[in-house]
Amino acid sequence: MLTLSKKRKEDAARRANNSLSSPQTSDNSKRASVRDMLLNKEVPEMDVNLPSSCTVDFEDPNKLHSFKLIVTPEEGYWRGGRFVFSIHVPEEYNIVPPTVKCLTRIWHPNISEDGNICLSILREHSVDGTGWAPTRRMKDVAWGLSFLFSDLLNFDDPLNIEAAEHYQRNRSDFEAKVRHYVERYAKS
Amino acid sequence: MSDSQVIMKDETCSTANGKSGSMESTKQDAEVKPFTLKKWNIVAMWSWDVDCDTCAICRVQVMDACLRCQTENKQEECVVVWGECNHSFHNCCMSLWVKQNNRCPLCQQEWMVQRIGK
Ligand SMILES: [Zn+2]
Ligand SMILES: [Zn+2]
Ligand SMILES: [Zn+2]
Repeated sequence: MLTLSKKRKEDAARRANNSLSSPQTSDNSKRASVRDMLLNKEVPEMDVNLPSSCTVDFEDPNKLHSFKLIVTPEEGYWRGGRFVFSIHVPEEYNIVPPTVKCLTRIWHPNISEDGNICLSILREHSVDGTGWAPTRRMKDVAWGLSFLFSDLLNFDDPLNIEAAEHYQRNRSDFEAKVRHYVERYAKS
Repeated sequence: MSDSQVIMKDETCSTANGKSGSMESTKQDAEVKPFTLKKWNIVAMWSWDVDCDTCAICRVQVMDACLRCQTENKQEECVVVWGECNHSFHNCCMSLWVKQNNRCPLCQQEWMVQRIGK
């Protein structure tokens, strides 16, 4: 977190210097996009409001639109696992939601084994009012993902139907499989 | 981190800063001259919690040009749209959003334009 904000500060300073020496914008990019300007505010806000089970990892601090959110649930079926989500914020943000994939293989009713996620606020089109809205921010996305392991865990509206049925059929067997996946894929 | 937090406060109409600042100076005034109690009332009447007409989509005040028009230098063309629900946004911002979902992002009612203007 500190490194990120420090890096951003340095970048800002560098950009200021650049614009002094060369009035036209730098070669590699056009003007800051609306998305980037929104993220300039939302990412620091997310940083300071992150749930205790989460960390963020920016491979390139100049690209606030592409990062990883790591959730390590402290309790529940997936406790002790380390689940990595890749978050990509499209150019049309915040009219459209970020796209999120779970990179860690997981046995979960709302996350498919190939990493697709069923979380209402990430839904681009929704008939009711539960989907994405531009009033949402990146911190809501982080909280939403972390809640998939607790409050938003939903066996009644599953994406991985097999996992949900597994739970209904035999809870302890479901839990055993969850733990097996955690040990095998979510430890690092 | 601290500089970004300042930016965030700006966005939320600098609630915290504004409040503590004005309260403090009034309190000091009151200690010196008890009869400036009137001033307390005035400060208290500035309801800092009211929605300060910020566009919920781009988070710039609706009376200023939206974020998009600011970056594209089209400040002059940027107007405000009011819905039947009385929520207001930049017309630019709202016209992008209704293509996605024809509801007010704040109250989820179906979006019906009441008025467009400045
Ligand atoms: Zn706007
Ligand atoms: Zn505009
Ligand atoms: Zn409304």
